[in-house]
Amino acid sequence: MTTDTEFLGAQRARTLPSSTRSVSKSVAALHFKRIGLIVLRPVAMFVPVFLFGTLITFLLGALTGLSPAYVQLGDAATPAAVARLNHQWGLDQPLLVRYWDWFSALLHGSLGSSWFNGVPVSELIGQRIAISLSVAGVGLVIGIVFGTLLGTIAAVKATSWIDRSITAFLSFISVMPPFTVGIILVAVFAVGFHLLPSAGYIPIEQGLGPWFSHIILPAIALSFDSTAALARQLRAGLVSAYTENYVLGATVHGLSPRRIFFGHVLRNGAGPSLALLGLHFPNLLGGAVVTETVFGLSGYGVFASQSALHGDVPAVQGVLVVSIVLVVAFNLIVNVALNRIVPSATRGV
Amino acid sequence: MLSRLVRLPSTWISFGIILFIVLLGFFGPLLAPHDPLAGGGTLLAPPTFAHPFGTDYLGRDVFSRILAGAPVSVLSALEVAGIALVAGAIPGLLSVYLGRAFEWLTLRLVDTLIALPFLVFAVAMTALLGNGISQAMLSVGILLAPMFYRVARASAMSVIASQYVESAVLSGSSTAWVLRRHVWPKVVAPIGIALANAAGAGLVIVASLTFLGIGVQPPAPTWGGMLASDLGYLDYQPYAPLFPIVLIVLTVWALNLAADVLRDVSGESGRILLKRRALRRAKKRAVRRPVPIPRES
Repeated sequence: MTTDTEFLGAQRARTLPSSTRSVSKSVAALHFKRIGLIVLRPVAMFVPVFLFGTLITFLLGALTGLSPAYVQLGDAATPAAVARLNHQWGLDQPLLVRYWDWFSALLHGSLGSSWFNGVPVSELIGQRIAISLSVAGVGLVIGIVFGTLLGTIAAVKATSWIDRSITAFLSFISVMPPFTVGIILVAVFAVGFHLLPSAGYIPIEQGLGPWFSHIILPAIALSFDSTAALARQLRAGLVSAYTENYVLGATVHGLSPRRIFFGHVLRNGAGPSLALLGLHFPNLLGGAVVTETVFGLSGYGVFASQSALHGDVPAVQGVLVVSIVLVVAFNLIVNVALNRIVPSATRGV
Repeated sequence: MLSRLVRLPSTWISFGIILFIVLLGFFGPLLAPHDPLAGGGTLLAPPTFAHPFGTDYLGRDVFSRILAGAPVSVLSALEVAGIALVAGAIPGLLSVYLGRAFEWLTLRLVDTLIALPFLVFAVAMTALLGNGISQAMLSVGILLAPMFYRVARASAMSVIASQYVESAVLSGSSTAWVLRRHVWPKVVAPIGIALANAAGAGLVIVASLTFLGIGVQPPAPTWGGMLASDLGYLDYQPYAPLFPIVLIVLTVWALNLAADVLRDVSGESGRILLKRRALRRAKKRAVRRPVPIPRES
């Protein structure tokens, strides 16, 4: 796909051969500026989110007053033993010092060790994140595919009975919380028809089929939220894009309906729904907590709730930091995609 | 606005369901025919006249457990919305008045809260703060506060910038008058919409937390907790989860419908919608009762 500026540059270089050098230079400068805008603006937007998120995460753990002493010693906690353990874990230092230690370790990729068994938290999360990412990833793909399909069909057939039934269906699935969908899916497909396993996980290395059969139900349960959000926003975006003058212009130019749809309407109408997908990604990660419990997957969500119930503060902080990083990374990807897809985004509008 | 509201059937449906569910929240435990905690009946019995929804794996009456679980499931959703309203709307209004530093700080904080994976944080906060229902409601309320922050800030900014407020102030109206006459009508609809949305989100999150056994511990009946125990006995009672699920989904749907109705009625589109309805009605009436043709004498 050639972008507008590249196309413009090529055209200019062709029509003005005498001043090729200066033109190529200005095109290069424009290109760099664009890349800067694409990369730097979201980074500038998400650095505060990351900083505040980690600060909240740290304070959440620090201010609860939990300590490894209670986790490890239980009833055998004497004041001296508690003080010794607190000193050992550096908990007797001022809050700011602790925050700095924690944050600088975080930047070096270390999330600390679990209070429960002393294993590094990054290792514990690393064992489980593959499960959660497979479920969330497949759920996201399902959401994008079905959301795009339903939204597009509803927009193209706007105000027909197809559009109305799709809208009704979407408003129905948008109020279904992921764990209720999960329970219904288990009852129907695992218990009722014995088609798919109701619980457990098989790594992808042991075969694509078994992996997929364990992943598909939780992924469907998770995907409802993003499907509904994406389809509704896409329908609204496409319907409003169809009323724009450039569509009228393209029609008058005699472009085929298919070309108008893919070249003009979809690229312009998809912007808000793509941005919305970035906003719904946290829901996907959050829904994983409950969905994993329904399907007996020991992913990072189950790990988070178990650690939180144990009072294992470093483990909980680790999960929260990982989820913040995932959200920020996903939103950066969405921003780059937005810049590639939506024509007006390249003009810095 | 109120007269426009009562003319829509969606209003009656949504507010009727919400009223029913809220009454269930207040009076549910009093109506329970059996003790929700007493087991001993037939285990996993199908619905009968004595036990309309059957019994669970300990022989407890499911109907009574649903009624007894209503306060935690429903009223906590309303309380969560209330906490979010206070924690969000006040900083939202102040962010317009208190200067740039406060504005920047609260805006970044709100951005962050929106970007966080909601349920993961709700689970973490509730469990770390002490794993009780009030901790759960506090953390969910704080996490939902950005909704109200944005709404309150946006309405405050639009009202302050408007010329009718300026002219009212210039012509010597008191602050109370300006607030009552100009600010309140502009703010009430968006706040109402946000309240309905927040209550719906709160209900789902509280149900999710109780499903995980966080906030309320298992023997106490909650809709989410019942789902968790039903999950283990799907082989015997595949229909059992339907009772809590239908209640949860119905409530969330009614709250969303109420938000939609408020949005339609409050905006410009609401007026168009109702005009179109009135026109259609008038046409229908005209067709039904044709204008009588005067007979020639």
